[in-house]
Amino acid sequence: MSLLKIIDLHKRFGDLYVLKGINMEVERGEVVVIIGPSGSGKSTLLKCINRLEEPTRGKIILDGVDITDPKIDINKIRQRIGIVFQQFNLFSHLTALENITLPLRVVKKIPKDEAEKIAIKFLKKVGLDDKADHYPHQLSGGQQQRVAIARALAMNPEVMLFDEVTSALDPELVKEVLDVMKQLARDGMTMIVVTHEMGFAREVGDRVIFMDNGRIVEEGTPEEIFTNPKHERTKKFLSMIL
Amino acid sequence: MAGIGQFDFNLFIRILPDLASGALVTLKFTTFSILFGLILGTITGIFRIVKNPILNAISTAYVEFIRGTPLLVQIMIVYYGLPEAGIKLPPELAGILALSINSGAYIAEIIRAGIQSVPKGQMEAARSLGMTYVQAMRYVVLPQAFRNILPALGNEFIALLKDSSLLSVIAIAELTRMGMQIYAVTFNAWTPLLGVALFYLMMTLPLSRLVDYAQRRIGGHESA
Repeated sequence: MSLLKIIDLHKRFGDLYVLKGINMEVERGEVVVIIGPSGSGKSTLLKCINRLEEPTRGKIILDGVDITDPKIDINKIRQRIGIVFQQFNLFSHLTALENITLPLRVVKKIPKDEAEKIAIKFLKKVGLDDKADHYPHQLSGGQQQRVAIARALAMNPEVMLFDEVTSALDPELVKEVLDVMKQLARDGMTMIVVTHEMGFAREVGDRVIFMDNGRIVEEGTPEEIFTNPKHERTKKFLSMIL
Repeated sequence: MAGIGQFDFNLFIRILPDLASGALVTLKFTTFSILFGLILGTITGIFRIVKNPILNAISTAYVEFIRGTPLLVQIMIVYYGLPEAGIKLPPELAGILALSINSGAYIAEIIRAGIQSVPKGQMEAARSLGMTYVQAMRYVVLPQAFRNILPALGNEFIALLKDSSLLSVIAIAELTRMGMQIYAVTFNAWTPLLGVALFYLMMTLPLSRLVDYAQRRIGGHESA
């Protein structure tokens, strides 16, 4: 059984019809990369998966449980789905360490000293344990994004969502973030990655999904999508960005 | 009767202790009122932005009523009006109640602006980690909002400190009342009233310096 299954997902914002029936499955340990032009609904799809945006219609099944069920405790579900944002969204009044310990303490009720041990462990994992006491504004964009990844990982999620996490970074800072994500993929994390980094998609993705205008147009292995795309729109998109 | 109609330095020295005690009363009333106002204002400010039409309506009515009517009238309603409704309050309590309700409305607007100054992504990130709306507000949004509005709160404190002179009409022995009483027995207006003004300045000037300092610090701390 797949870890995540999305069935006929629709999302409207008033007159704006953003997702028009998305169906997809993600296996445990799989890295799925979603590409497509801006406005195609990629970010909205990610935010529907942990219900930061409420789907208008459709089902999202996580490990056999329908998480669109209104009776479900969404705060419990969100602990199992980590997300990293384009704008980092680190808590600006807290240090790197506190950014990670706050949700551990508040949500998981882990005592302070234990939470700090966990935080240090994950800061090490992203290579920033020496920056534990720095505030976000004292860190570069790449460092902030790595702390944001560590913060999401520390909650011990089963799947990680990445929403254009390198798009707001200066070019020379992109690699350090992608390196962390590559390591994560090698460790076997289930990942859904919305990105414009085609090199990353090709190298790390197990499967690539091309979205346009609220629909999945085409999906396949990176090889299939990048060297032998079937649909005209996929070809056109790739020719514009490669 | 030397000194009538002009500044009498000897009188000034003699009334200093009375003015100082009046200033302390002013400070006490302002501090209590701002604290209660802060609680009332935080709740009201949140009520103004949550997606609940009833809470929106109640909080908006409160804020509009207070901001659209004079504080002097509000004080008199609490002090003279409430007893007719069977609620008799000593002047001190009536004074603090009136000032708190008044500052609560102004602070609500400051809090609302403060919450809206925190980027939307902060709430989103907090919720994505499994925090409830209340937890995200308490641990993530409000601390940043308070940091951003510290100067505005300082200015509200200064404004309230000056406005508290209106409590003199309900016989509270604050600074302005002290000055008036001294005038009533000495028939010298300049000495006690200049003294009163001086004491207000001694309280407001350091406070506004503090606000300026806080403003500069926050300005330098702007984060991405």
